[in-house]
Amino acid sequence: MADAAAIATHGLTKRYRADVAALDGLELEVRRGEVFGFLGPNGAGKSTTIRLLLDLIRPTAGTASLLGLDTRRDGVQARRRVGYLPGDLRLADRLTGREQLDSLARLRGTTRPELRDTLVERFGVTLDRPIRELSKGNRQKLGVVQAFMDRPELLILDEPTSGLDPLLQEEFRLLLRETAADGRTVFLSSHSLDEVQHAADRLALIRDGRLLRVDAVAALRAHAVRHVTVTFAEAADSAAFAGIEGVRVESADDRVVRLALPAGAMDAVVKAAARHRIVDLVSAPAQLEEIFLDLYRASSDGR
Amino acid sequence: MAAELFRRGLRDHGRALLGWCAGAAAYVLFLCAIYPSIGGSADIEEVIRNLPDAVKGFFGLGAVDLTSGSGFVDTELFSIVLPLLAIALGIGSGARILAGEEESGRLELLLAYPLRRRSATLAKGAAVGVELLVLALVMLVALAAAGLVFGLDLPFGHLVGGVLGVGLLGVLHGWLALALGAAVPNRGLAIGVAAAFAGVGYLIGGLFSLASWLEPFRFLSSFWWVGQSPLSSGVTWRHLAVVAAVALALLLAASLLFERRDVETP
Repeated sequence: MADAAAIATHGLTKRYRADVAALDGLELEVRRGEVFGFLGPNGAGKSTTIRLLLDLIRPTAGTASLLGLDTRRDGVQARRRVGYLPGDLRLADRLTGREQLDSLARLRGTTRPELRDTLVERFGVTLDRPIRELSKGNRQKLGVVQAFMDRPELLILDEPTSGLDPLLQEEFRLLLRETAADGRTVFLSSHSLDEVQHAADRLALIRDGRLLRVDAVAALRAHAVRHVTVTFAEAADSAAFAGIEGVRVESADDRVVRLALPAGAMDAVVKAAARHRIVDLVSAPAQLEEIFLDLYRASSDGR
Repeated sequence: MAAELFRRGLRDHGRALLGWCAGAAAYVLFLCAIYPSIGGSADIEEVIRNLPDAVKGFFGLGAVDLTSGSGFVDTELFSIVLPLLAIALGIGSGARILAGEEESGRLELLLAYPLRRRSATLAKGAAVGVELLVLALVMLVALAAAGLVFGLDLPFGHLVGGVLGVGLLGVLHGWLALALGAAVPNRGLAIGVAAAFAGVGYLIGGLFSLASWLEPFRFLSSFWWVGQSPLSSGVTWRHLAVVAAVALALLLAASLLFERRDVETP
Protein backbone atom coordinates (compact mmCIF):
# COMPACT_ATOMS: atom_id res chain seq x y z
CA MET A 1 0.00 0.00 0.00
CA ALA A 2 3.04 2.26 0.18
CA ASP A 3 2.36 3.70 -3.27
CA ALA A 4 -1.40 4.05 -3.01
CA ALA A 5 -2.65 7.59 -3.57
CA ALA A 6 -2.84 9.81 -0.51
CA ILE A 7 -6.48 10.49 -1.35
CA ALA A 8 -8.58 8.85 -4.03
CA THR A 9 -12.29 9.30 -4.61
CA HIS A 10 -14.52 7.65 -7.18
CA GLY A 11 -17.94 9.02 -7.97
CA LEU A 12 -18.13 10.40 -4.45
CA THR A 13 -21.59 11.87 -4.00
CA LYS A 14 -23.48 13.29 -1.07
CA ARG A 15 -27.11 14.32 -1.19
CA TYR A 16 -28.75 15.75 1.90
CA ARG A 17 -31.99 16.04 -0.03
CA ALA A 18 -32.93 14.02 -3.06
CA ASP A 19 -32.77 16.94 -5.46
CA VAL A 20 -29.68 18.73 -4.19
CA ALA A 21 -26.20 17.22 -4.38
CA ALA A 22 -23.78 18.83 -1.94
CA LEU A 23 -21.15 16.82 -3.77
CA ASP A 24 -21.72 15.25 -7.17
CA GLY A 25 -19.56 12.41 -8.49
CA LEU A 26 -16.20 13.68 -7.31
CA GLU A 27 -13.19 12.04 -8.99
CA LEU A 28 -10.02 13.10 -7.30
CA GLU A 29 -6.53 11.75 -6.85
CA VAL A 30 -4.03 13.40 -4.54
CA ARG A 31 -0.51 12.04 -4.84
CA ARG A 32 1.86 11.27 -2.04
CA GLY A 33 4.22 14.07 -1.12
CA GLU A 34 2.34 16.94 -2.72
CA VAL A 35 0.60 19.97 -1.31
CA PHE A 36 -2.79 19.83 -2.95
CA GLY A 37 -4.99 22.91 -2.96
CA PHE A 38 -8.74 22.39 -2.88
CA LEU A 39 -10.30 25.64 -3.85
CA GLY A 40 -13.85 26.83 -4.16
CA PRO A 41 -16.30 29.40 -2.89
CA ASN A 42 -18.15 28.89 0.37
CA GLY A 43 -20.76 26.17 0.06
CA ALA A 44 -19.06 24.57 -2.94
CA GLY A 45 -18.75 21.19 -1.21
CA LYS A 46 -15.23 21.45 0.23
CA SER A 47 -16.15 20.68 3.81
CA THR A 48 -18.60 18.02 2.66
CA THR A 49 -15.72 16.32 0.84
CA ILE A 50 -13.49 16.50 3.89
CA ARG A 51 -16.19 15.20 6.20
CA LEU A 52 -16.77 12.28 3.84
CA LEU A 53 -13.04 11.52 3.81
CA LEU A 54 -13.01 11.45 7.61
CA ASP A 55 -16.13 9.25 7.76
CA LEU A 56 -18.00 11.90 9.75
CA ILE A 57 -20.74 11.70 7.14
CA ARG A 58 -21.55 8.86 4.75
CA PRO A 59 -21.62 9.05 0.98
CA THR A 60 -24.88 8.67 -0.94
CA ALA A 61 -22.81 7.01 -3.65
CA GLY A 62 -19.19 6.41 -4.53
CA THR A 63 -16.12 5.52 -2.54
CA ALA A 64 -13.09 7.22 -1.07
CA SER A 65 -9.79 6.01 0.27
CA LEU A 66 -7.03 7.58 2.31
CA LEU A 67 -3.52 6.14 1.86
CA GLY A 68 -5.11 3.14 0.17
CA LEU A 69 -7.54 2.48 3.04
CA ASP A 70 -11.28 2.64 2.41
CA THR A 71 -12.77 5.45 4.47
CA ARG A 72 -15.83 3.40 5.42
CA ARG A 73 -14.37 -0.06 6.02
CA ASP A 74 -10.92 0.85 7.34
CA GLY A 75 -11.66 4.35 8.57
CA VAL A 76 -10.02 3.91 11.96
CA GLN A 77 -6.75 2.60 10.49
CA ALA A 78 -6.82 5.38 7.91
CA ARG A 79 -7.43 8.13 10.46
CA ARG A 80 -4.55 6.83 12.58
CA ARG A 81 -2.30 8.26 9.85
CA VAL A 82 -4.23 11.48 9.27
CA GLY A 83 -4.08 14.85 11.00
CA TYR A 84 -7.14 17.10 10.68
CA LEU A 85 -7.71 20.78 11.26
CA PRO A 86 -11.44 21.62 11.03
CA GLY A 87 -12.58 24.79 9.33
CA ASP A 88 -14.69 25.68 12.32
CA LEU A 89 -12.45 24.61 15.17
CA ARG A 90 -14.23 24.03 18.50
CA LEU A 91 -12.05 23.05 21.41
CA ALA A 92 -12.83 22.21 25.03
CA ASP A 93 -13.17 25.75 26.37
CA ARG A 94 -12.55 24.89 29.98
CA LEU A 95 -9.29 23.07 29.43
CA THR A 96 -5.98 24.84 29.09
CA GLY A 97 -4.14 24.47 25.81
CA ARG A 98 -1.79 21.99 27.40
CA GLU A 99 -4.62 19.89 28.81
CA GLN A 100 -6.38 19.93 25.45
CA LEU A 101 -3.28 18.76 23.60
CA ASP A 102 -2.57 16.08 26.21
CA SER A 103 -6.14 14.88 25.98
CA LEU A 104 -6.01 14.67 22.19
CA ALA A 105 -2.69 12.83 22.36
CA ARG A 106 -4.26 10.25 24.67
CA LEU A 107 -7.23 9.98 22.34
CA ARG A 108 -4.82 9.13 19.53
CA GLY A 109 -2.95 6.77 21.79
CA THR A 110 0.51 8.04 20.90
CA THR A 111 2.57 10.96 22.08
CA ARG A 112 5.59 12.66 20.58
CA PRO A 113 6.27 15.34 23.16
CA GLU A 114 9.44 16.61 21.47
CA LEU A 115 7.61 17.20 18.18
CA ARG A 116 4.74 18.89 19.96
CA ASP A 117 7.12 21.16 21.89
CA THR A 118 8.86 22.16 18.68
CA LEU A 119 5.57 23.17 17.10
CA VAL A 120 4.43 24.98 20.23
CA GLU A 121 7.63 27.02 20.25
CA ARG A 122 7.57 27.65 16.52
CA PHE A 123 4.06 29.09 16.54
CA GLY A 124 4.25 30.68 19.96
CA VAL A 125 1.28 28.73 21.33
CA THR A 126 -0.20 29.75 24.67
CA LEU A 127 -0.42 26.56 26.72
CA ASP A 128 -1.27 27.52 30.26
CA ARG A 129 -4.44 29.53 29.92
CA PRO A 130 -7.97 28.18 29.57
CA ILE A 131 -8.93 28.00 25.92
CA ARG A 132 -12.02 30.18 26.45
CA GLU A 133 -9.67 33.09 27.25
CA LEU A 134 -7.72 32.70 23.99
CA SER A 135 -8.19 34.77 20.84
CA LYS A 136 -9.29 33.09 17.62
CA GLY A 137 -5.73 33.13 16.33
CA ASN A 138 -4.36 31.51 19.46
CA ARG A 139 -6.98 28.78 19.30
CA GLN A 140 -6.15 28.21 15.66
CA LYS A 141 -2.50 27.69 16.62
CA LEU A 142 -3.60 24.92 18.99
CA GLY A 143 -5.51 23.42 16.09
CA VAL A 144 -2.39 23.49 13.93
CA VAL A 145 -0.31 21.85 16.65
CA GLN A 146 -2.82 19.04 17.25
CA ALA A 147 -3.00 18.29 13.51
CA PHE A 148 0.77 18.08 13.06
CA MET A 149 1.94 16.78 16.43
CA ASP A 150 1.77 13.09 15.64
CA ARG A 151 3.65 13.57 12.37
CA PRO A 152 0.78 12.15 10.27
CA GLU A 153 1.36 10.94 6.71
CA LEU A 154 -1.60 12.94 5.45
CA LEU A 155 -2.81 16.33 6.65
CA ILE A 156 -6.32 17.47 5.89
CA LEU A 157 -6.55 21.18 6.59
CA ASP A 158 -9.72 23.23 6.21
CA GLU A 159 -9.04 26.97 5.94
CA PRO A 160 -5.97 26.52 8.15
CA THR A 161 -4.59 30.04 8.28
CA SER A 162 -7.83 31.80 9.19
CA GLY A 163 -7.08 33.97 12.20
CA LEU A 164 -3.29 33.59 11.97
CA ASP A 165 -1.33 36.80 11.60
CA PRO A 166 0.70 37.26 8.38
CA LEU A 167 3.99 36.32 10.00
CA LEU A 168 2.58 33.02 11.17
CA GLN A 169 0.91 32.40 7.82
CA GLU A 170 4.38 32.54 6.32
CA GLU A 171 5.66 30.17 9.00
CA PHE A 172 2.72 27.90 8.26
CA ARG A 173 3.51 27.83 4.53
CA LEU A 174 7.04 26.85 5.45
CA LEU A 175 5.68 24.03 7.58
CA LEU A 176 3.63 22.79 4.62
CA ARG A 177 6.69 22.81 2.36
CA GLU A 178 8.71 20.88 4.94
CA THR A 179 5.91 18.38 5.30
CA ALA A 180 5.80 17.77 1.55
CA ALA A 181 9.61 17.61 1.35
CA ASP A 182 9.34 14.91 4.00
CA GLY A 183 7.26 12.84 1.56
CA ARG A 184 4.06 13.52 3.45
CA THR A 185 0.91 14.89 1.86
CA VAL A 186 -1.09 18.02 2.55
CA PHE A 187 -4.69 18.49 1.42
CA LEU A 188 -5.36 22.18 1.77
CA SER A 189 -8.93 23.35 1.43
CA SER A 190 -9.74 27.01 1.12
CA HIS A 191 -12.01 29.59 -0.41
CA SER A 192 -9.10 31.98 -0.60
CA LEU A 193 -6.71 31.70 -3.46
CA ASP A 194 -4.13 33.62 -1.50
CA GLU A 195 -4.05 30.88 1.10
CA VAL A 196 -3.24 28.14 -1.39
CA GLN A 197 -1.50 29.55 -4.45
CA HIS A 198 1.92 29.92 -2.87
CA ALA A 199 1.75 26.70 -0.92
CA ALA A 200 0.18 24.22 -3.32
CA ASP A 201 1.73 22.23 -6.16
CA ARG A 202 -1.59 21.39 -7.74
CA LEU A 203 -5.04 22.87 -7.42
CA ALA A 204 -8.51 21.48 -7.77
CA LEU A 205 -11.32 23.91 -8.32
CA ILE A 206 -14.74 22.93 -7.06
CA ARG A 207 -18.07 24.65 -7.35
CA ASP A 208 -21.67 23.65 -6.66
CA GLY A 209 -20.47 20.19 -5.63
CA ARG A 210 -18.69 19.61 -8.92
CA LEU A 211 -15.03 19.46 -9.79
CA LEU A 212 -14.23 22.05 -12.47
CA ARG A 213 -10.59 21.46 -13.08
CA VAL A 214 -7.40 20.02 -11.60
CA ASP A 215 -4.10 21.44 -12.70
CA ALA A 216 -0.61 22.31 -11.57
CA VAL A 217 -0.42 25.83 -10.23
CA ALA A 218 2.44 26.54 -12.66
CA ALA A 219 0.41 25.23 -15.63
CA LEU A 220 -2.53 27.41 -14.72
CA ARG A 221 -0.25 30.38 -14.59
CA ALA A 222 1.30 29.47 -17.96
CA HIS A 223 -2.10 29.51 -19.62
CA ALA A 224 -3.04 32.68 -17.94
CA VAL A 225 -3.54 36.04 -19.51
CA ARG A 226 -0.64 38.48 -19.27
CA HIS A 227 -1.08 42.13 -18.56
CA VAL A 228 1.34 44.20 -20.55
CA THR A 229 1.83 47.90 -20.01
CA VAL A 230 3.88 49.73 -22.62
CA THR A 231 5.02 53.31 -22.11
CA PHE A 232 6.12 55.07 -25.30
CA ALA A 233 8.39 58.08 -25.67
CA GLU A 234 5.83 59.86 -27.83
CA ALA A 235 2.16 59.35 -28.61
CA ALA A 236 1.47 55.98 -30.23
CA ASP A 237 -1.55 54.48 -31.89
CA SER A 238 -3.06 51.60 -29.92
CA ALA A 239 -4.96 50.38 -32.98
CA ALA A 240 -1.83 48.53 -34.08
CA PHE A 241 -2.26 46.18 -31.10
CA ALA A 242 -5.97 45.69 -31.42
CA GLY A 243 -5.40 43.91 -34.71
CA ILE A 244 -3.33 41.10 -33.13
CA GLU A 245 -5.32 37.95 -32.39
CA GLY A 246 -6.34 37.48 -28.74
CA VAL A 247 -5.18 40.89 -27.66
CA ARG A 248 -7.49 43.19 -25.82
CA VAL A 249 -6.67 46.84 -25.29
CA GLU A 250 -7.64 47.62 -21.73
CA SER A 251 -6.76 51.26 -21.78
CA ALA A 252 -4.81 53.65 -23.94
CA ASP A 253 -3.92 57.28 -23.57
CA ASP A 254 -1.27 59.32 -25.37
CA ARG A 255 1.76 57.32 -24.37
CA VAL A 256 0.64 54.46 -22.11
CA VAL A 257 -1.10 51.39 -23.50
CA ARG A 258 -2.43 48.59 -21.31
CA LEU A 259 -3.05 45.25 -22.95
CA ALA A 260 -4.33 41.85 -21.89
CA LEU A 261 -3.08 38.99 -24.04
CA PRO A 262 -2.55 35.23 -24.07
CA ALA A 263 1.02 33.96 -23.78
CA GLY A 264 1.04 33.05 -27.49
CA ALA A 265 0.53 36.66 -28.60
CA MET A 266 3.50 38.05 -26.71
CA ASP A 267 5.93 37.90 -29.61
CA ALA A 268 3.64 39.79 -32.00
CA VAL A 269 2.88 42.42 -29.37
CA VAL A 270 6.52 43.10 -28.58
CA LYS A 271 7.37 43.37 -32.28
CA ALA A 272 4.48 45.76 -32.88
CA ALA A 273 5.54 47.89 -29.94
CA ALA A 274 9.15 47.96 -31.10
CA ARG A 275 8.21 50.09 -34.09
CA HIS A 276 8.03 53.03 -31.67
CA ARG A 277 10.50 54.24 -29.11
CA ILE A 278 9.74 52.51 -25.84
CA VAL A 279 10.38 54.01 -22.40
CA ASP A 280 9.13 51.08 -20.36
CA LEU A 281 7.50 47.69 -20.82
CA VAL A 282 5.99 45.68 -17.95
CA SER A 283 4.51 42.22 -18.30
CA ALA A 284 2.66 40.76 -15.34
CA PRO A 285 0.94 37.39 -15.10
CA ALA A 286 -2.71 37.48 -14.16
CA GLN A 287 -3.58 36.62 -10.61
CA LEU A 288 -5.00 33.14 -10.30
CA GLU A 289 -8.12 34.83 -9.07
CA GLU A 290 -8.75 35.97 -12.65
CA ILE A 291 -8.06 32.55 -14.06
CA PHE A 292 -10.64 31.08 -11.78
CA LEU A 293 -13.16 33.76 -12.40
CA ASP A 294 -12.83 32.90 -16.08
CA LEU A 295 -13.29 29.22 -15.29
CA TYR A 296 -16.28 29.95 -13.12
CA ARG A 297 -17.84 31.97 -15.89
CA ALA A 298 -17.10 29.28 -18.43
CA SER A 299 -18.67 26.59 -16.26
CA SER A 300 -21.75 28.68 -15.51
CA ASP A 301 -22.22 29.44 -19.21
CA GLY A 302 -21.91 25.78 -20.07
CA ARG A 303 -25.04 24.84 -18.17
CA MET B 1 -8.27 5.61 22.76
CA ALA B 2 -11.92 5.90 23.65
CA ALA B 3 -11.02 5.68 27.35
CA GLU B 4 -9.98 9.31 27.08
CA LEU B 5 -13.58 10.25 26.28
CA PHE B 6 -14.66 8.50 29.50
CA ARG B 7 -12.10 10.48 31.49
CA ARG B 8 -13.08 13.73 29.84
CA GLY B 9 -16.79 13.01 30.29
CA LEU B 10 -16.30 12.75 34.04
CA ARG B 11 -13.86 15.63 34.25
CA ASP B 12 -15.96 18.06 32.27
CA HIS B 13 -18.90 17.40 34.56
CA GLY B 14 -16.90 16.97 37.78
CA ARG B 15 -17.91 20.20 39.44
CA ALA B 16 -21.59 19.73 38.59
CA LEU B 17 -21.51 16.19 39.94
CA LEU B 18 -19.95 17.45 43.15
CA GLY B 19 -22.81 19.94 43.53
CA TRP B 20 -25.37 17.26 42.81
CA CYS B 21 -23.87 14.95 45.46
CA ALA B 22 -23.61 17.73 48.03
CA GLY B 23 -27.24 18.67 47.43
CA ALA B 24 -28.44 15.09 47.73
CA ALA B 25 -26.44 14.49 50.92
CA ALA B 26 -27.66 17.76 52.46
CA TYR B 27 -31.28 16.95 51.70
CA VAL B 28 -30.95 13.43 53.14
CA LEU B 29 -29.32 14.74 56.32
CA PHE B 30 -31.91 17.51 56.71
CA LEU B 31 -34.86 15.14 56.35
CA CYS B 32 -33.41 12.51 58.64
CA ALA B 33 -32.73 15.23 61.21
CA ILE B 34 -36.45 16.08 61.44
CA TYR B 35 -37.44 12.46 61.91
CA PRO B 36 -36.86 12.36 65.68
CA SER B 37 -39.34 15.22 66.15
CA ILE B 38 -42.19 13.50 64.29
CA GLY B 39 -41.31 9.82 64.49
CA GLY B 40 -43.86 7.88 66.48
CA SER B 41 -46.11 10.90 66.65
CA ALA B 42 -49.72 9.85 66.84
CA ASP B 43 -50.82 13.12 65.20
CA ILE B 44 -49.12 12.30 61.93
CA GLU B 45 -50.61 8.84 61.88
CA GLU B 46 -53.99 10.39 62.48
CA VAL B 47 -53.55 12.88 59.61
CA ILE B 48 -52.54 10.16 57.21
CA ARG B 49 -55.33 7.81 58.25
CA ASN B 50 -57.81 10.56 57.41
CA LEU B 51 -56.44 11.22 53.91
CA PRO B 52 -58.58 10.03 50.99
CA ASP B 53 -57.61 6.59 49.74
CA ALA B 54 -56.68 7.99 46.34
CA VAL B 55 -54.11 10.33 47.84
CA LYS B 56 -52.75 7.56 50.07
CA GLY B 57 -52.52 5.26 47.08
CA PHE B 58 -50.79 7.76 44.84
CA PHE B 59 -48.14 8.69 47.36
CA GLY B 60 -47.79 5.13 48.62
CA LEU B 61 -48.84 6.14 52.11
CA GLY B 62 -51.23 3.28 52.70
CA ALA B 63 -48.57 0.64 52.39
CA VAL B 64 -46.00 2.05 54.73
CA ASP B 65 -45.94 3.12 58.32
CA LEU B 66 -44.81 6.71 58.19
CA THR B 67 -43.90 6.76 61.84
CA SER B 68 -41.19 4.12 61.48
CA GLY B 69 -37.78 5.20 60.23
CA SER B 70 -38.11 3.00 57.15
CA GLY B 71 -41.59 4.26 56.30
CA PHE B 72 -40.49 7.84 56.82
CA VAL B 73 -37.48 7.50 54.51
CA ASP B 74 -39.57 5.64 51.90
CA THR B 75 -42.20 8.35 51.83
CA GLU B 76 -39.99 11.38 52.11
CA LEU B 77 -37.04 10.26 50.00
CA PHE B 78 -37.51 7.10 47.94
CA SER B 79 -41.00 7.87 46.64
CA ILE B 80 -39.91 10.88 44.63
CA VAL B 81 -36.98 13.06 45.74
CA LEU B 82 -34.07 10.63 45.37
CA PRO B 83 -35.34 9.08 42.10
CA LEU B 84 -35.90 12.55 40.72
CA LEU B 85 -32.35 13.63 41.60
CA ALA B 86 -30.90 10.55 39.96
CA ILE B 87 -33.11 10.79 36.87
CA ALA B 88 -32.38 14.48 36.37
CA LEU B 89 -28.64 13.88 36.65
CA GLY B 90 -28.85 10.91 34.27
CA ILE B 91 -30.94 12.65 31.62
CA GLY B 92 -28.86 15.83 31.79
CA SER B 93 -25.58 13.94 31.42
CA GLY B 94 -26.84 11.46 28.84
CA ALA B 95 -28.16 14.24 26.61
CA ARG B 96 -25.18 16.55 27.11
CA ILE B 97 -22.39 14.07 26.60
CA LEU B 98 -23.30 13.11 23.03
CA ALA B 99 -26.02 15.28 21.46
CA GLY B 100 -24.92 18.34 23.44
CA GLU B 101 -21.28 17.96 22.45
CA GLU B 102 -22.31 17.39 18.87
CA GLU B 103 -24.54 20.48 18.80
CA SER B 104 -21.71 22.58 20.18
CA GLY B 105 -19.48 21.33 17.36
CA ARG B 106 -16.88 19.89 19.72
CA LEU B 107 -17.46 16.30 18.67
CA GLU B 108 -16.24 16.71 15.10
CA LEU B 109 -12.52 16.97 15.86
CA LEU B 110 -12.68 14.07 18.32
CA LEU B 111 -14.43 11.76 15.87
CA ALA B 112 -11.85 12.59 13.19
CA TYR B 113 -9.34 10.88 15.47
CA PRO B 114 -8.74 7.13 15.04
CA LEU B 115 -11.68 6.02 17.07
CA ARG B 116 -14.72 3.87 16.44
CA ARG B 117 -18.02 5.65 17.02
CA ARG B 118 -19.25 2.59 18.87
CA SER B 119 -16.38 2.80 21.36
CA ALA B 120 -16.89 6.54 21.72
CA THR B 121 -20.56 6.03 22.59
CA LEU B 122 -19.81 3.25 25.07
CA ALA B 123 -17.09 5.34 26.74
CA LYS B 124 -19.49 8.25 27.10
CA GLY B 125 -22.23 5.94 28.39
CA ALA B 126 -19.79 4.56 30.94
CA ALA B 127 -19.07 8.10 32.15
CA VAL B 128 -22.81 8.66 32.71
CA GLY B 129 -23.04 5.34 34.55
CA VAL B 130 -20.13 6.19 36.83
CA GLU B 131 -21.65 9.59 37.66
CA LEU B 132 -24.78 7.83 38.89
CA LEU B 133 -22.74 5.26 40.76
CA VAL B 134 -21.02 8.09 42.62
CA LEU B 135 -24.34 9.79 43.38
CA ALA B 136 -25.86 6.50 44.59
CA LEU B 137 -22.86 5.83 46.84
CA VAL B 138 -23.15 9.32 48.33
CA MET B 139 -26.85 8.71 48.98
CA LEU B 140 -26.06 5.37 50.59
CA VAL B 141 -23.40 6.80 52.86
CA ALA B 142 -25.55 9.81 53.80
CA LEU B 143 -28.57 7.61 54.58
CA ALA B 144 -26.59 5.07 56.53
CA ALA B 145 -24.84 7.76 58.55
CA ALA B 146 -27.95 9.86 59.14
CA GLY B 147 -29.92 6.73 59.99
CA LEU B 148 -27.44 5.88 62.73
CA VAL B 149 -27.13 9.41 64.08
CA PHE B 150 -30.85 10.17 64.20
CA GLY B 151 -31.97 6.66 65.14
CA LEU B 152 -34.04 5.80 62.07
CA ASP B 153 -33.10 2.15 62.38
CA LEU B 154 -32.86 1.46 58.64
CA PRO B 155 -32.25 -2.17 57.58
CA PHE B 156 -28.95 -2.04 55.71
CA GLY B 157 -29.83 -4.68 53.10
CA HIS B 158 -33.00 -2.82 52.15
CA LEU B 159 -31.09 0.44 52.09
CA VAL B 160 -28.54 -0.96 49.65
CA GLY B 161 -31.33 -2.31 47.44
CA GLY B 162 -33.21 0.98 47.53
CA VAL B 163 -30.20 3.09 46.64
CA LEU B 164 -29.24 0.62 43.92
CA GLY B 165 -32.75 0.96 42.49
CA VAL B 166 -32.48 4.75 42.49
CA GLY B 167 -29.08 4.57 40.79
CA LEU B 168 -30.45 2.18 38.16
CA LEU B 169 -33.37 4.53 37.50
CA GLY B 170 -30.87 7.30 36.83
CA VAL B 171 -28.77 5.07 34.56
CA LEU B 172 -31.85 3.85 32.68
CA HIS B 173 -33.04 7.37 31.90
CA GLY B 174 -29.49 8.60 31.26
CA TRP B 175 -28.81 5.89 28.69
CA LEU B 176 -32.25 6.50 27.19
CA ALA B 177 -31.27 10.15 26.68
CA LEU B 178 -27.89 8.99 25.30
CA ALA B 179 -29.63 6.66 22.82
CA LEU B 180 -32.02 9.42 21.74
CA GLY B 181 -29.06 11.74 21.17
CA ALA B 182 -27.29 8.97 19.28
CA ALA B 183 -30.29 8.62 16.98
CA VAL B 184 -31.00 12.33 16.46
CA PRO B 185 -28.46 15.12 17.06
CA ASN B 186 -30.74 17.19 19.27
CA ARG B 187 -30.05 17.63 22.96
CA GLY B 188 -33.41 19.24 23.69
CA LEU B 189 -35.27 16.36 22.11
CA ALA B 190 -33.23 13.81 24.09
CA ILE B 191 -34.01 15.61 27.35
CA GLY B 192 -37.69 16.09 26.50
CA VAL B 193 -38.47 12.53 25.48
CA ALA B 194 -36.51 10.97 28.33
CA ALA B 195 -38.17 13.30 30.85
CA ALA B 196 -41.60 12.48 29.42
CA PHE B 197 -40.83 8.79 29.84
CA ALA B 198 -39.91 9.44 33.46
CA GLY B 199 -43.05 11.52 34.04
CA VAL B 200 -45.37 8.93 32.56
CA GLY B 201 -43.59 6.25 34.54
CA TYR B 202 -44.12 8.18 37.75
CA LEU B 203 -47.81 8.75 37.06
CA ILE B 204 -48.49 5.14 36.14
CA GLY B 205 -46.48 3.96 39.13
CA GLY B 206 -48.63 6.09 41.42
CA LEU B 207 -52.00 5.54 39.76
CA PHE B 208 -52.16 1.95 38.61
CA SER B 209 -53.29 0.74 42.04
CA LEU B 210 -56.22 3.18 41.88
CA ALA B 211 -57.28 2.84 38.26
CA SER B 212 -57.61 -0.79 37.34
CA TRP B 213 -57.40 -0.11 33.58
CA LEU B 214 -53.83 1.11 34.13
CA GLU B 215 -52.84 -2.16 35.74
CA PRO B 216 -51.58 -3.81 32.50
CA PHE B 217 -49.49 -0.73 31.74
CA ARG B 218 -47.57 -0.83 35.00
CA PHE B 219 -44.74 -2.56 33.12
CA LEU B 220 -44.15 0.76 31.35
CA SER B 221 -43.38 2.46 34.63
CA SER B 222 -39.71 2.54 35.52
CA PHE B 223 -40.80 3.49 39.04
CA TRP B 224 -42.92 0.35 39.37
CA TRP B 225 -39.93 -1.82 38.43
CA VAL B 226 -37.63 -0.46 41.11
CA GLY B 227 -40.39 -0.12 43.75
CA GLN B 228 -41.23 2.98 45.74
CA SER B 229 -40.97 1.65 49.28
CA PRO B 230 -37.69 -0.24 49.26
CA LEU B 231 -36.94 0.18 52.96
CA SER B 232 -40.31 -1.09 54.22
CA SER B 233 -40.84 -3.82 51.65
CA GLY B 234 -37.38 -4.43 50.22
CA VAL B 235 -36.67 -4.53 46.52
CA THR B 236 -37.39 -7.32 44.08
CA TRP B 237 -33.90 -8.16 42.83
CA ARG B 238 -35.33 -9.79 39.74
CA HIS B 239 -37.00 -6.49 38.84
CA LEU B 240 -33.80 -4.55 39.34
CA ALA B 241 -32.09 -7.01 37.02
CA VAL B 242 -34.75 -6.26 34.39
CA VAL B 243 -34.14 -2.51 34.71
CA ALA B 244 -30.39 -3.08 34.39
CA ALA B 245 -30.92 -5.25 31.31
CA VAL B 246 -33.16 -2.67 29.63
CA ALA B 247 -30.61 0.05 30.44
CA LEU B 248 -27.82 -2.02 28.88
CA ALA B 249 -29.94 -2.65 25.81
CA LEU B 250 -30.42 1.12 25.46
CA LEU B 251 -26.68 1.71 25.75
CA LEU B 252 -26.04 -0.90 23.09
CA ALA B 253 -28.72 0.63 20.89
CA ALA B 254 -27.06 4.03 21.36
CA SER B 255 -23.71 2.70 20.15
CA LEU B 256 -25.29 1.10 17.07
CA LEU B 257 -27.47 4.10 16.22
CA PHE B 258 -24.58 6.53 16.44
CA GLU B 259 -22.46 4.31 14.22
CA ARG B 260 -24.95 4.61 11.39
CA ARG B 261 -25.71 8.27 10.96
CA ASP B 262 -24.02 11.45 9.77
CA VAL B 263 -22.39 13.63 12.39
CA GLU B 264 -23.90 17.12 12.29
CA THR B 265 -22.01 20.37 12.39
CA PRO B 266 -23.65 23.41 13.90
